[in-house]
Amino acid sequence: MRTWLRSYLLLIRWTALRLRFVLPLVLIVQTFLAVGVVIGFAYLMPSVDPATALYLSTGAPTLGLITIGMVMAPQLVAQSKTEGTFTYNRTLPVPRTAVLAADLTTWLGTGAPGLVLGLLTATLRFDLHLRVSPLVVPAILLVALTTTTVGFAIAYAAPPAVTSLVSQALVFIALMFSPVTFPAERLPGWLEDVHQALPFQSMAQVVREALTSPPGGISALPYAVLAAWSTAGLVITLRVMTRRE
Amino acid sequence: MLHIESLTKVYRRGVRANDGIDLDVRAGQVVGLLGHNGAGKTTLLGQVVGLIRPTAGRITLLGRDPVGDPAYARRVCSFQPQAQAPLTGVTPRQAIAMVGRIRGGSRVDIDRRTADLLAALDIEKWADSPAERLSGGVRRLIAFGMAAVAPGRLVMLDEPTNDVDPVRRRLLWTRIRALAADGHAVVLVTHNISEAERTIDHVVVLDDGRVVAAGSPTTLAAGSEMKLEITAPGEDSLPRWARAARRQGDRLTVTLAKADAGLAVDWARSRSSTFSLQPTSLEDAYVGLTGGGSRAHLAA
Repeated sequence: MRTWLRSYLLLIRWTALRLRFVLPLVLIVQTFLAVGVVIGFAYLMPSVDPATALYLSTGAPTLGLITIGMVMAPQLVAQSKTEGTFTYNRTLPVPRTAVLAADLTTWLGTGAPGLVLGLLTATLRFDLHLRVSPLVVPAILLVALTTTTVGFAIAYAAPPAVTSLVSQALVFIALMFSPVTFPAERLPGWLEDVHQALPFQSMAQVVREALTSPPGGISALPYAVLAAWSTAGLVITLRVMTRRE
Repeated sequence: MLHIESLTKVYRRGVRANDGIDLDVRAGQVVGLLGHNGAGKTTLLGQVVGLIRPTAGRITLLGRDPVGDPAYARRVCSFQPQAQAPLTGVTPRQAIAMVGRIRGGSRVDIDRRTADLLAALDIEKWADSPAERLSGGVRRLIAFGMAAVAPGRLVMLDEPTNDVDPVRRRLLWTRIRALAADGHAVVLVTHNISEAERTIDHVVVLDDGRVVAAGSPTTLAAGSEMKLEITAPGEDSLPRWARAARRQGDRLTVTLAKADAGLAVDWARSRSSTFSLQPTSLEDAYVGLTGGGSRAHLAA
């Protein structure tokens, strides 16, 4: 356990050192994105009623986590595969789970400021009153874990060029065709059904409910959906990391 | 320390990269793997360090099986891969020290060893510059530093001298010998045969995935032949003791039996004041063993 913790902390330092010029940039872009969704999407709509405001404000941090986990993290993994960092790290005497945990922590740390700022902007812009549940921390951690592990699974399993394409398609789907910043009822029936199985709707719901504590209580199903997706992502990622030719 | 028995690796697309390789490496020994591109050298190292799974055969590393326990293999081996090490965003000092710390060294020890290595390889002046802007040779030396800063009991180096300038290559060979003197076993892949000849204790020549020769550099090189090189323009008639001859411009190279060395010197003196007579080198022996490099090789 001590070796694991030591490896984990050193790997975070190693990643932070290698990416110290990239991560601040990601942080800024991601913050702009979260704030931008709140402000920009409001322009698209002539009048923003309280329900829409709620979807926009709580959807923005979710979109931020999706961008970090499913676009930026996989693209940097793809780059590390091209550069040889991936293979090199596989020869270091560190537990594979520590490598994965260190990467997850780095991405979560990079995403956190945008998340908070986006929410803050929303409460000011829409005069929103959030009723934050204590579940907010595990909820956001679970969403971050799901986006990042699914992103990693794609990046580790697919060739770098494919990763780049898939991650861009994913963010487009999440932004325009997923019930993240709007209610699922607005989608055609078949797409609504598809989103029962995809993780985007569950991500949005988990974050929204944790931030607003709805009177009906917080639903458990989306947590189960996300747990399933992140387990699948973890299994695939660890398999690829330990696979030998 | 490292014992390899009938190791065979057949890749999925059917390429037989290693074919029944036997190899023994002792602590304090520097073993050189020679072979053409695609002879199976990198595949061999990859199987020991746990990047590649053997198809058949056995590897024993300090009495244990690194194939079944790759985490153990990574602890015991430090490895310099053939591809350039990942150095984006870091300085040479940071890269070497970070790997040393990750390999379990204490901060004080690692900082001191990093500084020693940077000085010994004469790359101190770039120690705190962004490493991705440095030349290929310097980056190769940094990668060596990363493998040598907290070395495992077995150190494996895949083409450590590539792109390195001649002066720093000497410094590098000295450090490699120093690792062996400290009791580490060193296995290295190189195409720089003439330099390796002076440093390594044991040579293994691979060809098409098989070991075609193994022994000390002197035993391998010291066949019964010698080589006479003479600058003799227009000398066309070959003496009867000549076994083979090759002309490049004014320069004539004649291979002969050791017993005929006296005759050869007399013959050369009568024709030119510029000649040399020497035992065939390891490189000559290597070229002979691997079929003169004329065959095509497809293996990875």
